[in-house]
Amino acid sequence: MAKVKVATDWLDVCSGCHMSLLDVDDRLVELLKSVEITSSPITDLKHPPEEGVDVGILSGAVGNTHQQAVAKEMRERCKILVAIGDCAVFGGICTMRNFFDTEEVLRRAYVETESTDEQGAIPRSPELGKLLDRVKAVNEVVKVDVHLPGCPPPADSIWFVLTELLAGRIPVLVGDNLTYE
Amino acid sequence: MARVNITINGQKIAAQAGQTVLEASEEAGIDIPTLCDHPALQPIGACRMCLVEIARQRGLQPACTFKVVEGMEVRTESTAVVEARKFVLQLLFSERNHFCMYCQMSGDCELQDLAYRYRLDHWIYDRAFPKLEVDSSHQHFVMDHNRCILCRRCVRACAEAVGNHTLGVRERGANSMICADLNAPLGESSCISCGTCLQVCPTGALMDRKSAYLGLPDEVEGVKSTCTFCSVGCGVELVTCYNHLIRIEGDWDATPNGGLLCVMGRFEPLDEQRTRVLRPMVRRDGALEEVDWEEAQQFVADKIRGLQGGLTGLASPRLTNEALSLFVQLFRQGLDADAGSLIEVPKFLGQPEGDLTLLDQADLFVVVGTDLTVDHQVAGFLVKRAVTNRGARLILVDEETNGLASYASYHLKLGESARAIALCTAASAPAVIYGTGAGTDLDQLRKALAGKAHFVGLVPGANSRGALAAGLNGAARLEEVRGFYILAADDQVSEDLGERLKGVEFIAVHSSYLTPLTERADVVLPTAIWSEKAGHFTNTEGRVLELARAVDPPPGVKDDEDILKALATKLDVTL
Repeated sequence: MAKVKVATDWLDVCSGCHMSLLDVDDRLVELLKSVEITSSPITDLKHPPEEGVDVGILSGAVGNTHQQAVAKEMRERCKILVAIGDCAVFGGICTMRNFFDTEEVLRRAYVETESTDEQGAIPRSPELGKLLDRVKAVNEVVKVDVHLPGCPPPADSIWFVLTELLAGRIPVLVGDNLTYE
Repeated sequence: MARVNITINGQKIAAQAGQTVLEASEEAGIDIPTLCDHPALQPIGACRMCLVEIARQRGLQPACTFKVVEGMEVRTESTAVVEARKFVLQLLFSERNHFCMYCQMSGDCELQDLAYRYRLDHWIYDRAFPKLEVDSSHQHFVMDHNRCILCRRCVRACAEAVGNHTLGVRERGANSMICADLNAPLGESSCISCGTCLQVCPTGALMDRKSAYLGLPDEVEGVKSTCTFCSVGCGVELVTCYNHLIRIEGDWDATPNGGLLCVMGRFEPLDEQRTRVLRPMVRRDGALEEVDWEEAQQFVADKIRGLQGGLTGLASPRLTNEALSLFVQLFRQGLDADAGSLIEVPKFLGQPEGDLTLLDQADLFVVVGTDLTVDHQVAGFLVKRAVTNRGARLILVDEETNGLASYASYHLKLGESARAIALCTAASAPAVIYGTGAGTDLDQLRKALAGKAHFVGLVPGANSRGALAAGLNGAARLEEVRGFYILAADDQVSEDLGERLKGVEFIAVHSSYLTPLTERADVVLPTAIWSEKAGHFTNTEGRVLELARAVDPPPGVKDDEDILKALATKLDVTL
């Protein structure tokens, strides 16, 4: 039977959700028997293949134009999109900057930090993603099929979601699998 | 109560006339989720979580305010009801900034519990991200408006339960905000730090400073006990984590306070600044030196023998009935020595009188010789809430500076209470509350109102009634005594006592903390504090209330009883 193709990427993140994914430990070896991970932020290939994948997994909130493009690309190239972690599902910690003007935020981050000397300057290279006015949850930008909140979601919950999807079911989160922290 | 027959989810229920659908359901064991409802407060139907289907009603109705009617048919779990609950939760979560991952209340939050119960895994509405304040001006707690769901339990608690009316709501609709007074920072408001709002808040909006982040719900324990900071004897629940007392809450089921506490019992005990005594100490060459228990107790026993009758024992009214009883046995019977207490109670307060729980029925209060905003504050709440919510009237007989003055219809001077008598005879349920300043006013009031008014005496100190019952009232004499044995417990000892004991040959002290008294003592024996003691206190009404040992004392620190027993053995006294 052909392996299920999975692509994953991260947006505005701390990478805790991907660390939690790796916390499935040796179950990953078992998983790889039926799953092909085509691309991830921690392997060589970063983008989901053009021909598309079965499952796309995104962690992190959408905070800049670059992350918005990644989210849209993942949505286009996958059949089932999973948002994992509080940032992807709710916007999470990243939304702390929603109470401030983006210029104020950039100044605080690049000029006014206590450890920055007088050389601090806001990077304005056109290659960099521009901050959106507001940090958004993934479902505010593209349609999401499965939401797995948590900060991070426990490895067992990530495992549950993956195995349910492999069994052809949309996972229903109950008990310890549903956590907002 | 007249019976009202209703049907809930097809089940026939016998409700009582005057009950709400929520009350009838609760009695029948049928669960309806709520947020703004609270057993100690009047329902207001604000949160809409309790919406249920009632046959022939135009829309879903809030169970908390809808009264039962004969033949009513209620459905609490229909599809429409469940969808409505999820809708309410989605609206609540989208309105303000609710993030569980850094909230100290996570795991113990009623809003979060409902989100888990209804398995919400994402928000469906755009969120407003309003920039909301965090008011951290108050010494004991923080108000984070981001987490507030405007259930108004805090406002209602402050008004109905305590009668202080500090909290209110300003603006309207989505701009509504809980505020103190006319939008003053909490720390500069008329708040009296009773903390009732903190206790009723269902979310992390009102955050107790001392206990925040100090233990997850499955790491903390609650131990029921009694507050020992005045003679009202409020029932408390001591919240502990890994043998540390982190928070004090009022026990909703306790008498006479019904869940209320004041700043002295809720917050101040956790603000203890004094240094704990951890080892027995004996004074040598002018300085206290640590010694072991055997040496310390032997030293005391030898000294007592040497005093040959010039010994007086003094006990703090913060000791338990058990410790006081043992103390009296040892000193009066065993050693034939004088025994007294560190507090003197005037004769007119010598016997327990009154029932605080009946004050909710009074229509007129005469408060004589005491300031209920300083002492016995919870009794003061009962008066304030009656005056501000039920139209009861207050006649205050005390100094001009009395904190209840603004609640009083008449403020008389001590000596003028005769003027109150006519009003009392006209009232249907007058109550006279008296404290240490009452004196002759009390005699006059008794003569005129015996049998008519409900008299409630408020004795000073904590377990003074326990001390009085053990036959202890003040010290018979302090002069011409050669040696003192003082059980100071964790009492606040004045500089004054230390001064008056100058020139005494020998002073041995049981003490939990270093105080002006331990500065004068020749021997200091470390004892457990109130939260580390098991035993009983007798409150001002004469109720015997239980203290539980919520935390273990530091290793090496003993109970007063154990020290007395060891002393008795050394002095060949059988107790």
